[in-house]
Amino acid sequence: MKNNYPACSPMLIAQFMYFPAALRTALCALLLLTVSFQVKAQSPLDKPVTISIHNQPLKQALDQLTAASGVRFTYNETVAKSKITISVNAQNQPLGEVLKKALAPYPFSYTVLDQDIMIKYDTEKPKKQAAALAGGGKYTISGTVKSKQTGETVIGATIRATDVNQGTSSNEYGFYSLTLPAGDHQLAVSAVGQKSTLVPISLNSNQQLAIAMDNNEQSIQEVTITAKAPGTRDLANPQMGVEHLSIQETKNIPVLLGERDIIKTIQLLPGIKTAGEGSGGFYVRGGAADQNLILLDEAPVYNASHMLGFFSTFNSDAIKNISIYKGDMPAQYGGRLSSVLDIKMNDGNNQKFGVSGGVGLIAARINVEGPIQKNKSSFLISARRTYADAFLAFSKDTIAKKSQLYFYDINAKANYILGDKDRLYISGYFGKDVLKASDIAGINWGNTTATLRWNHIFNSQLFSNTSLIYSNYDYKINIKQDVNEFNIYSQIRDLNFKEDLQYYAGDKNTISFGVNAIYHTIKPGEISSTGNSGILSQNLQNRYALENAAYATNTWKATDRFSLTYGLRVSAFTILGEGDYYNLDADGNIISTQHYTSGQAVKTYVNPEPRIAAAYSLNDFSSVKASYARNAQNLHLISNSNSGSPTDKWAASTNLIKPELADQVSVGYYRDLKDHQYEFTVETYYKKMQNQVDYRNGANVFTNQPIETQLLYGIGRAYGAEFLLKKKTGRLTGWISYTLSKTERKIDGINNNQWYNARQDRTHDIAIVAMYKASEKWTFSANFIYYTGDAVTYPSGKYQVDGATYYYYTNRNADRIPAYNRLDLGATRQLKKSAKFESDLTFSLYNAYGSHNAYRIYFRDNKNDPSRTEAVRTTLFTFVPSISYNFKF
Amino acid sequence: MRTTIKYLMIALLVTTFSSCEKAINLKLSDTTPQYVIEGVLTNQAGGCKVTLSQTKNFTDNNDVIGIDGAQVSISDDNNVYPLTPAGSGVYQNTTLTGAYAHIYKLTVIVAGKTFTSTCAMQAQVALDSIYLVKSSFGNNADGTVRKYVTVKYHDPIATKNYYRFVQYVNDRKEESILLDDDEFTNGQEVNTQLNFSNNNDNPARDIRPGNKVTIEMQCIDPAVYKYFFSLNSSANGDGNNAAPSNPVSNVQGGALGYFSVHTVQRKTLTAP
Repeated sequence: MKNNYPACSPMLIAQFMYFPAALRTALCALLLLTVSFQVKAQSPLDKPVTISIHNQPLKQALDQLTAASGVRFTYNETVAKSKITISVNAQNQPLGEVLKKALAPYPFSYTVLDQDIMIKYDTEKPKKQAAALAGGGKYTISGTVKSKQTGETVIGATIRATDVNQGTSSNEYGFYSLTLPAGDHQLAVSAVGQKSTLVPISLNSNQQLAIAMDNNEQSIQEVTITAKAPGTRDLANPQMGVEHLSIQETKNIPVLLGERDIIKTIQLLPGIKTAGEGSGGFYVRGGAADQNLILLDEAPVYNASHMLGFFSTFNSDAIKNISIYKGDMPAQYGGRLSSVLDIKMNDGNNQKFGVSGGVGLIAARINVEGPIQKNKSSFLISARRTYADAFLAFSKDTIAKKSQLYFYDINAKANYILGDKDRLYISGYFGKDVLKASDIAGINWGNTTATLRWNHIFNSQLFSNTSLIYSNYDYKINIKQDVNEFNIYSQIRDLNFKEDLQYYAGDKNTISFGVNAIYHTIKPGEISSTGNSGILSQNLQNRYALENAAYATNTWKATDRFSLTYGLRVSAFTILGEGDYYNLDADGNIISTQHYTSGQAVKTYVNPEPRIAAAYSLNDFSSVKASYARNAQNLHLISNSNSGSPTDKWAASTNLIKPELADQVSVGYYRDLKDHQYEFTVETYYKKMQNQVDYRNGANVFTNQPIETQLLYGIGRAYGAEFLLKKKTGRLTGWISYTLSKTERKIDGINNNQWYNARQDRTHDIAIVAMYKASEKWTFSANFIYYTGDAVTYPSGKYQVDGATYYYYTNRNADRIPAYNRLDLGATRQLKKSAKFESDLTFSLYNAYGSHNAYRIYFRDNKNDPSRTEAVRTTLFTFVPSISYNFKF
Repeated sequence: MRTTIKYLMIALLVTTFSSCEKAINLKLSDTTPQYVIEGVLTNQAGGCKVTLSQTKNFTDNNDVIGIDGAQVSISDDNNVYPLTPAGSGVYQNTTLTGAYAHIYKLTVIVAGKTFTSTCAMQAQVALDSIYLVKSSFGNNADGTVRKYVTVKYHDPIATKNYYRFVQYVNDRKEESILLDDDEFTNGQEVNTQLNFSNNNDNPARDIRPGNKVTIEMQCIDPAVYKYFFSLNSSANGDGNNAAPSNPVSNVQGGALGYFSVHTVQRKTLTAP
């Protein structure tokens, strides 16, 4: 298109006519823009503003910006109702820049709409940002999550970067480490009992960040972005078979005689079964009561019950948090087949001094805590004493009148923050039970534990904890009879060293590794006697053993949806002299004896224990998991009583007692319902057990013969399905749990070497727990429990020996105790609540409809007609009301 | 001492937690009757007696139905001594007495089945004396003072010894199994209190002023001790303890019961 026309306006217009249409439109727009620029001088985005806004909800913040800049915003309801809070600090900066910075971590974008600015919800924004940042490298943010009010570290807090779908949770010392792409992020932090919080971060180097959370017992106002309720099961984490409870969640559950009891509470969860009323034990997935490792601040507790099992040794006032692993324990734990119950004590408030306590029907409690130096160090002392024996004074029975029956326990802890990188903890537990019938007889027993721990943060990715642990359990029996007095003393004592390291290797891998060495001393019993009984005082040989273990495990986030944890624990149990070890014949008679000198190794059992677990997220609200774990156990509780007697014997593996082994495979499905308000889980498992120990028929429990002469060995199997539906938020909270299961044993020499039901085989087990916060003043709660009766052996016939009736037995544990059922009710009335003083009254009614559950069933000649026999049921508790008063200042 | 500990635990539990007891109806399975043999040979004349009976269903009455028509004999290295039926399942040899260190074999043939057992006569340990001691654990059901007999004897140091005591109050035989051994008392002068359990509160079992109390001391074979020990552990089928099982019998061939060859001595006192 050539022409020779001189450049003039009409010509220009004429040429313009030939331009392609599209280009023309663009030019027009440009022209228009230039014009308007000249006329109006600036867009609303360029308006300079000076403003300071601190953590205001989005709508209020926008209103304030309007007031400061004169620019109006338009938005829809999503924006207006958003609960995100923003902070702005601008000195004469263009509004556009201010908005960009303030909205950076959130899925909101803005556009100019004439003279206004439109804010809209933009789900694509985080992805675009992440993509843009991908090239910018990755950095690690790490630190400790704490409570603002008490300075207590928060265990299991979820820390999530809202924009890049990456998260972690704080470990048992509150430490977290999260590796993220460089740039601006928003961390959403949530934990049970704490107000959820959002922390904006700008990451361009490794960074340390201490996160302080507000206590919020009412909890529940959730930031919309995090959506999930705090404490919700981690759907993406491969860890299976675990339940975490914070003490706050359990405090309204009604309990016997009003004594809050963590061990009784976990028995309401699927797969964990009570060993019965009046028993402190519990069974996990068909395992025996001694196959549970109970740790209090990492120290093993050998007898976790008070008063012959009616109460647990753990004073709820001193406890922060518990976790129970049902056989799929992480590699850092070992030594028991069925479960690990990991109990963490409070650290002590390092912000202010406080006293709390309570007075109940049978016990009083007091808890004192406070800073030694504010923000740096704190202490906690918590004590409890029962006075049930006060009631004995009213008894008509002269023996009962002069009897003693009480327990007390003390938890004490102190911690010291040595700087950014180091923290020391020292904690101890001391508990004692005294049971004394007048001057005639008495038993006292108790646990003592002490733990010294040192947390060290090597760098933002490597966390270390070193522990020195002492644990002791002993009992003493004293009996006076006529002119005779007998004393029996037995003890198990551990010295324990543990080193655990966690390496947060980037955003895909978390590696844990460590070592553990325990030196066990077991004193099976010493008997001393005075009088004319002829009983010779004697000491049974002490048993010594060294239990070593090393482990390494990695959790690998392979993709956004798939994670894998794989690891290995190797345990080595060495039996040490000095002592005699035996060879026995099939009937348990000693054939030969071998003496070992002090420190000489009798035998070492090495067991590799692989642990593997995988999780696959189907979507944001459901996942499937599978896992396999092997566990070895070298300490065995030899008991012929199901009620957990304090005199039950702990025995270490010997040349004859082999380590117990369990292999468990489990598969589970996890789903959050109704916007994460409910969680539903199903887990199924199959467990195979080897080297199970049981008493011979007619075994003698009180003997100074080697214990092996009384034992038989065999295998076990357990399988089942566990269902849990839980509601964690709102006025009504609680859960329904149901377990369908089977557990059997096959022991050479018992039941004609055929499979038989283990005592704890219970087909159905249902627990319903509900707590309802009716008002600020009243909270109501209820439990309902139903389970199939224990598998027991009833007579199939009877006969006379020497003029007395005896019973004939056929198949072991082929019969059932009648099914157990019970309803408990509870109510808490808040009396006073201010910042300075809080108090409440707690009422409970145990077994509210007076169900006559069998504690034991036995058989005897009828009292009125001795020519007949009868079955007799003993019931322990029907309608037990209680009231207790609790305070805190 | 073992039983003492057991009673102590039960006593404390019961006094502490007011538990309630009630007879209930349980559906118990029945089985085909099993033979029960009680064979006794003592060092005294007339002490040779074998009783043959069968198990009954739980809901039946407690009367023993003796099994007649069996061939019963006891033999030692040299001779076979037949036992003659005396009716009601009792078989006797009125002249046979056991001699120290002899090993005796019991043979019972009934309805085509043969049951055997062997047992050795133990050395007699002298029963020195018996006396009454007031119970420290509590009173009789009616509130009167409970008394127990204490037996005194000197255990020989060279041998393992096992003892069984049978108590008669006004000639009524006490049902409780009273055992002792020398595991903790070897070679000592022993005073053992015979704590019997009056579990059905029958006043005739208690020792009351004026009662004639006789104690029979038996020196028994280890296998017989084991039988009574295990019989006692499972005595009432208490579902609270380990699963009950049939006692460890020294009878071969699948019968219940025992064969005991033992010494017998008696002492009697009158309760003050």
